[in-house]
Amino acid sequence: MMTESYHKAKSRYFDPYLKRWTVKLLPGEYYVCRDEEVVATTLGSCISACIWDVKTGIGGMNHFMLAQSELGHWGEQTASTRFGNFAMEYLINELLKQGASRNNLRSKIFGGASMNTGGEKIGGANINFAISYLQTEKIPLLASDTGSDYARKIYFDPNTGEVKVKSIMDLPNDTIAQREKKYARDLEKENNKEEDVVLF
Amino acid sequence: MSKTILTVDDSASIRQMVGFTLKQSGFTVVEAEDGAKGLVAAQKQPVDLVITDLNMPNMNGLELISKLRELPAFKFTPILMLTTESDDSKKMAGKEAGATGWIVKPFNPEQLLKVISRVLPS
Repeated sequence: MMTESYHKAKSRYFDPYLKRWTVKLLPGEYYVCRDEEVVATTLGSCISACIWDVKTGIGGMNHFMLAQSELGHWGEQTASTRFGNFAMEYLINELLKQGASRNNLRSKIFGGASMNTGGEKIGGANINFAISYLQTEKIPLLASDTGSDYARKIYFDPNTGEVKVKSIMDLPNDTIAQREKKYARDLEKENNKEEDVVLF
Repeated sequence: MSKTILTVDDSASIRQMVGFTLKQSGFTVVEAEDGAKGLVAAQKQPVDLVITDLNMPNMNGLELISKLRELPAFKFTPILMLTTESDDSKKMAGKEAGATGWIVKPFNPEQLLKVISRVLPS
């Protein structure tokens, strides 16, 4: 297992409205496919990158946030972004492994809201990181819906790159905030763990 | 004279991050974006240590290590794999190809420097 706070999505259901099998991503998950599946997630301050190959129809999505330091302040740039780098690189590697070509990749990003969950700056930092990462990797960003102070539910069709966004102005409960808080705590634990290093 | 480290990774972000960490510590850094380019870059100047990714287009990290080990100049040069892959079978393949060590991403820059100090002859 690569890290405890980042893994492949496990939840899949048949959506009667979309009439498609739908894979639901939670914070810290990713999913790559080339089938007729839809990938869905609900975002608060976390961010999701939807990346797909325009020629082969292989696509995938992640759902992540940057790690904060123990004190809740942003650490050095390299320290705070290492899990973001990892989440992006892992998704891109999985796309390439399944046959996508780097030159054909296109992207869209969503989320990064300033939710009233005690970490208002996280959303903006997540957005800036994702934009900067895609620029560095020269993966064109075709569309985005980020920022503001409301949650979003997104449905990504990896075959076409189409994304449907539902803005959630009034949250019925604090499930999203609680999930994101738990994920932030998991990242913090991960940040303090020993590295996976082997010397032969 | 500062030691030269060759970093090979198809991700520009990782090259940037590793390069920044190494340059801050006084190393000279040479970068390549895949194994084939890494093999060429390795022969253009003396290299004290190689850090390579595993999954890359054109030539992957394992092939790169095998080819470097065939060159007399790289017979004993430390070569570290820096990859998202953590399967034991892949680590064994790395060992067989001639890797000196295996670091799983996401890496901590300080830890990377510690590993380098352990494998790089002074």
